[in-house]
Amino acid sequence: MLSLRVLLIINFSFTYAYTQSVFNSYGLGLNRTSYHTSVNGAGSIGLVPTFHPGVSMENVATWPGLNYTFISGSYSNQLFANEKRNVSNQAAGFSKIQFIIPILDRYGFGLSLKPLNNHNSFFTTDTSTIQYEGNNYTTNKEFRSGGGIMSGSFGFSFPINKNMGLGFSYNYLFGSSRDEQSMVINNTYYRLFNIRTYQGSTYKVDLGAKLFSNNKSSLLAFASIELTDKPVYGKLYQFDLFEDINNNYAFDANDYPGEVGVDTIGVNNIYAPSSFSLGFNISLKNSLNIFSEYQLWNDEANNINYASIYNDQVGSKNHIGVGLIRFGNQMERDWQDRITFRSGIYKDIYELRYSGKSIIENGLSLGFGFKFAATGNQIDLSFRNGSRYIDRSNKELFREFTVGISVGDVWFLRRRAKQ
Amino acid sequence: MKSITSIIPFGLIGIFYLSIFVSCEEAALPINDDGTPLNVDTVSFPVINTMTYQTPPTMGGTEYLYFGEKDDYDYLYNLLEFDSLAIGGGYPFEYYNDSLIIADSMKLTLRFISDTIDINTQFQLRFFPQNGDSVFNEFETNYMNFDPSLASEVISQAEMVTDSIDSVNTKVTLNFLIDTTVINVFKDTTIINFNRSFLVELKDNVSSEFKFHSSELGGGDGPELKVYYRTLLSDTVVTDTSYRTYTALEDLSVIKPPLITSDDTTYLSIGTAKGLKSLVLVDMKGWVLPKRSVIKSAQLILNRVQADTITGFSVNSYPLTKEGLYSTFLSYEFDPYKVENNLMASSTIVNNMLKINHRRFSREIGRDGRNNYGFKLQSSSNNDPFTIINFYTLGNIDYYPVMRVIYVKP
Repeated sequence: MLSLRVLLIINFSFTYAYTQSVFNSYGLGLNRTSYHTSVNGAGSIGLVPTFHPGVSMENVATWPGLNYTFISGSYSNQLFANEKRNVSNQAAGFSKIQFIIPILDRYGFGLSLKPLNNHNSFFTTDTSTIQYEGNNYTTNKEFRSGGGIMSGSFGFSFPINKNMGLGFSYNYLFGSSRDEQSMVINNTYYRLFNIRTYQGSTYKVDLGAKLFSNNKSSLLAFASIELTDKPVYGKLYQFDLFEDINNNYAFDANDYPGEVGVDTIGVNNIYAPSSFSLGFNISLKNSLNIFSEYQLWNDEANNINYASIYNDQVGSKNHIGVGLIRFGNQMERDWQDRITFRSGIYKDIYELRYSGKSIIENGLSLGFGFKFAATGNQIDLSFRNGSRYIDRSNKELFREFTVGISVGDVWFLRRRAKQ
Repeated sequence: MKSITSIIPFGLIGIFYLSIFVSCEEAALPINDDGTPLNVDTVSFPVINTMTYQTPPTMGGTEYLYFGEKDDYDYLYNLLEFDSLAIGGGYPFEYYNDSLIIADSMKLTLRFISDTIDINTQFQLRFFPQNGDSVFNEFETNYMNFDPSLASEVISQAEMVTDSIDSVNTKVTLNFLIDTTVINVFKDTTIINFNRSFLVELKDNVSSEFKFHSSELGGGDGPELKVYYRTLLSDTVVTDTSYRTYTALEDLSVIKPPLITSDDTTYLSIGTAKGLKSLVLVDMKGWVLPKRSVIKSAQLILNRVQADTITGFSVNSYPLTKEGLYSTFLSYEFDPYKVENNLMASSTIVNNMLKINHRRFSREIGRDGRNNYGFKLQSSSNNDPFTIINFYTLGNIDYYPVMRVIYVKP
């Protein structure tokens, strides 16, 4: 009944898509650092265990540590607020769907679907007046965009020895986005559209290792390398400007000119991410874990013809974060001891390729997980709060609340022999 | 029981993800203009040549039919052509060839613009029995290319009469009664698609002006032709008497304009009844509209010489299909300048300034490299045809003509 209530609350509370941001209009936008609720709650990038002792849902190498097969979903509600302009937006959408099967405590196999980035933005410029030959023309601009790249992944993991495991995942990238740009002159809209499609693939190798262990503590190390298999390519449909006389957002027979031309351009090398990540986790008594993570991420693609609303794009990112996790024990009598507590702080520094400017994001995360039922079903909640800005201007405050539900079942697990 | 509990979580997850695809509208974020695409750009093109010329006036599209004379304009005669079918369809003139249908008479009616008669005079009617299927063209026929002697002898004469519409209102009409000899020509099937045309004129020269509704007058009573007939049951028994009404397909006044004045030739002049038209050449050579751009306006701007207020005067402007001969004032028997009718732009004079938006044509020049031979300006058919408008030409340092383009580019 608990799960039913939670799902109904989710159904009625979150009925919006990802919220918009000016930062989504730099190239492909800001790629998310984490997707699963348990990872969000710790402010992690998914290397270190956050879901279950020894297991991160985003580190393939750790999947054999799961006790059950899991189907899991995470759903986020975001609130973005522009501090200077006193404008806020709120929206929600799924951040990950995942299915993981641990096999005989040694292997793991999983499928997932997640949005890599988000193009959702809607902004206007201030009104200005142009004087031309004695006439005044009042102008402003409006921009809207949406869509982005999805990642469909499969991964498998296997042991190297009793203290080390390796994971491999292949990510198929696909999707589309569009943007609409409008110049408003004396209340008449002049619009153009761009539509983009995406297709490509990456692969990732995860490593997990137990470096040290005694009955008081243990030290775990994790590393991950992501490389591009096929740089994202696609088609760009560029429509000409038209006067939207009836202001219905679409080109029709009432608009000027009578026909709108469209250029269809095949574009290669749109997005080619590579990253190296490193993380350490110290497990102490009472299931207390302290972790730190570092990630260096680069987008090697440099096709300027695929420009977004802003003629710039994110070229690299540095992430550093630390956090604390206390895993709950389902066998404990007190309900408080069954709760997993997660907390972390992080800093992301995005470098824009052409302007050389930096987008700096600082965040603080807090999360809880609660196990129920015999197969380790888990409900996770996370809250993230922070800010991002360019050159100290255009500061955006964000809050993200994520709910995840993971339902377990018994598949391919080693069972005890009957006595 | 176990199977039910294992299905429920998966079902609930399915419901959960159905809610994902509902979206919302969000508030726009105000941002700084810096670094954003889309810009407004402007460009002014000079007018480098202008000329006014005269052709014989064609009055086909005017709202009235004119008789008499006024201000040295000589209204020579009016030409009418009626539809082959009656109002409501059917009843071609061959219909009256039936042996059981007898057409007794016809009546041609013109509606006078006033409800009272101040001056009355005699009008006369002629038709064109020898001219086959076509007598005149509403938009081409003028006093120089039409020979009224092709018409028949006078077939009817009439004066204006007052009819009562009701107990309060009256209307003044000119009614010509036409006998069966003309009907016989109209219904003669040996003449394929007979012209059904008439010439109406004053019997004597009168130094007054008489104006009647033409078929172009909105809400007016255009020329009508009524055929009165009887339907017989047998050779001797009449079962019904009735009439059918035929409306005018084309009508125009053929007029002779007065002499050209110095204002007509000094300025850029337009006027329908005097046959005045003007050419304007804008130097847009080498201009390229940036890719994906859209023109907001491409206004050809001319300033009126007359200082009085004029309202609702509309000017049509057409791109030429060939180069114009820009010289001093010229008169032509036929208009030598063909135009792109589908690229016509029209505008009214406001505050003695005419701004005609030629953005469709400018787009073709800027994007497709179309040749620009200039524009022909002429008065719209809705204007008073006798009004002459003068615009300043290149010589005026304050009110010179110019084209100004505003466009949005990515």
